[in-house]
Amino acid sequence: MTTTTRVRRGLGLSMALATGLGLAACAGGGSTPEPGADGNASAGTTTAEITFWDPYPQHTEGTPWDEHVKSCAPDGSTIVRSSAPQTDLFNQLTTAVKEGTAPDVVVLDNPMMPEAVAAQLLATAEQAGIATTGIDENLMGPGVVDGVEYGVPFGSNALGLYYNADLLEEAGVDPATITDWASLEAALEKTVATGSKGITFSGIAGEEGVFQFLPWFWGSGADLSDIGTSEAVSAGQLLSGWVGKGWAPRSAATDNQSAAWDLFLTGEYAFAENGSWFAAAAADADFKTGVIPIPAKDGGVAPVPTGGEFAVAPIQSTDASDHYANAAAVIACLTEGEAAFTTNETLGYLSAKPDVRAEQVAASQLWEPWVAPIEGAAGRTTELGSEYVGVSASLSEALQGALNAAGDASGVETAFQDASGY
Amino acid sequence: MSLLTIPKLAAVRAARVPAPAAGRRPRRESRWVAVAFVAPLVIYLVLFYAYPLVQNVVMSLHRFDRFSFVNGGAPFVGFDIYAEVASQPRFWDVVRQTAIFTAASILFQYVIGLVLAAFFHRGGFRMSATLRGLFLIPWLLPVIVSGTTWQWMMSPDTGVLNAFLGMFGADPVWWLNADNALLSVTIANIWLGVPFNLVILYSGLQNIPADLYEAAALDGADAWQQFWRITVPMLRPVTLITLLLGLVYTLKVVDIIWIMTSGTGSSQTLATWSYAMAFGKGTSSVIRYSEASAVGTILLVVALLFGFVYIAVQRKQED
Repeated sequence: MTTTTRVRRGLGLSMALATGLGLAACAGGGSTPEPGADGNASAGTTTAEITFWDPYPQHTEGTPWDEHVKSCAPDGSTIVRSSAPQTDLFNQLTTAVKEGTAPDVVVLDNPMMPEAVAAQLLATAEQAGIATTGIDENLMGPGVVDGVEYGVPFGSNALGLYYNADLLEEAGVDPATITDWASLEAALEKTVATGSKGITFSGIAGEEGVFQFLPWFWGSGADLSDIGTSEAVSAGQLLSGWVGKGWAPRSAATDNQSAAWDLFLTGEYAFAENGSWFAAAAADADFKTGVIPIPAKDGGVAPVPTGGEFAVAPIQSTDASDHYANAAAVIACLTEGEAAFTTNETLGYLSAKPDVRAEQVAASQLWEPWVAPIEGAAGRTTELGSEYVGVSASLSEALQGALNAAGDASGVETAFQDASGY
Repeated sequence: MSLLTIPKLAAVRAARVPAPAAGRRPRRESRWVAVAFVAPLVIYLVLFYAYPLVQNVVMSLHRFDRFSFVNGGAPFVGFDIYAEVASQPRFWDVVRQTAIFTAASILFQYVIGLVLAAFFHRGGFRMSATLRGLFLIPWLLPVIVSGTTWQWMMSPDTGVLNAFLGMFGADPVWWLNADNALLSVTIANIWLGVPFNLVILYSGLQNIPADLYEAAALDGADAWQQFWRITVPMLRPVTLITLLLGLVYTLKVVDIIWIMTSGTGSSQTLATWSYAMAFGKGTSSVIRYSEASAVGTILLVVALLFGFVYIAVQRKQED
């Protein structure tokens, strides 16, 4: 290698670095919308193309949900729909708002709402012409920040305790007697003694596992403001003990809700903690199933977290009023009148509006046991707002530690005390 | 290194200046042509290598959250983020786990790859080519497939691995729990990396002249001596590049670990930690742009250091 080529290469590299620095320096500016950008749905008109993002990649093109969404395009418009898993969708929304290319409508998981509002990603419901009347207060909760409403929840799901009626009968367990943790454990012991397996649930790291843990956490009397209390530890101890005694599979620590459900469908497990969206699948199972509310520690029904998504309008930097008019038209079509019923039935949700919910229950007896849990459900973020994600991370870590301890009391306690969620 | 040589450029230029005026024009033209040829490469390097790298470092020096990521205004905090990351109780655990994962993966991948390569190089038996093809399967399969299969095989309740161990009377192992997770993902990663080592080392073996072995055999060297006195020294350049590439590949592994454990327990490495923080995945859905960039930069620096070690060793070999 001659000196000259080496020198030239050196120059090229430093030139490249200098240009890179220059580019990086101007990356901060750009077309980021002003916080609280103006624009109002009533001042805009719908455009030819409306973009719609949702977290349901399982509903591919041509499925009933896809067609239902697309049928909501106003005259002269077409809806372009795309999907990604919850977390990815939120990240994509963040980048899109930054770049000024946000979609017209996004369907966002409810615990993400306060953080999305805090990062100024969302237009207010008023601005975007979204009607929120007639929505249950507990379901609307996650979308209200400092008294201002953002978006609207169209439906909700909840967690319950499914059981395999054949196995319970074999073991001589009457599901109606399960009203607190002690009677649930007694039932588990009886079913395991007759040769079946106990219970499946999802304890996977992250929000999904926390969602499944919260009914036990709240049912113990614990509170999200302090996850190190003895009540919180007792909830961790309960699930950890099931793993330790072999009543729950050890894979619970890595199972997501679908994997936990598949285990229940094998017919080997007596119980499964899972969501209302499996109600139809449970009815089709090879064995007789039923569902009871998740019991609280000392009796009564444990509060379950609200599940489900909000339809929201992201903040727009250009032609905001037109984008909001698009959002207003599409969201109204999905959540009002006859379509509200179809929207929820297609997704396997119960409507966030009592009158539509009553219609659904009248149309199918599958829904009857889910009405009470949904009406009594508590928003995950209602108490803590955007602080919730941090607490949820700690709780997830504590739960993972507890399940790994497999019943060891000091291990469970350490897990809850040490959890930092970083 | 290159920057230090710049003063020499001035000397070269000075030497050129007295050149006859007539020769100047064509030279300048040819210089512009040269620039035009180099420009696409430089632009490509700047856009896709320098800019993201610099942006990564810039991010780790500013305190970003979701709001300031979107709306700008992240305050400059110097190396505070690095200090905060390093003072996390888990930081040194993660560094230790990364070191174990990387070292164990590379060591076993290389040894197993070398043994297999030597075995196939001796060849001479039927099906040798077919068998060698079969060994490439881990390389050809999408990681999502092999990762999920490993997770399924290592299921503590119904996995085939525990069923197999059970035949010898062993207690079932909880492969993917917090304590065993590192061992489990390392085993899967070794399996993934063997074909790469096998292929490179096999072609290295083919480049060793056969007459060396013949001569050694005539001198009465047994197989073991031939291996240590001929194969190992002749393979050194190939070994070096295999180990270095293996190191860089292994340091940044996210996929196989993520599919099997989501980086829980002892299977968290610097790469998975950075990924989890950058995208709000895994245990915590809190997004930590700056911390993720800091960990990413640390990883980069480590890989770069080993790159320099490689260049130094290679120079020494050439001399």
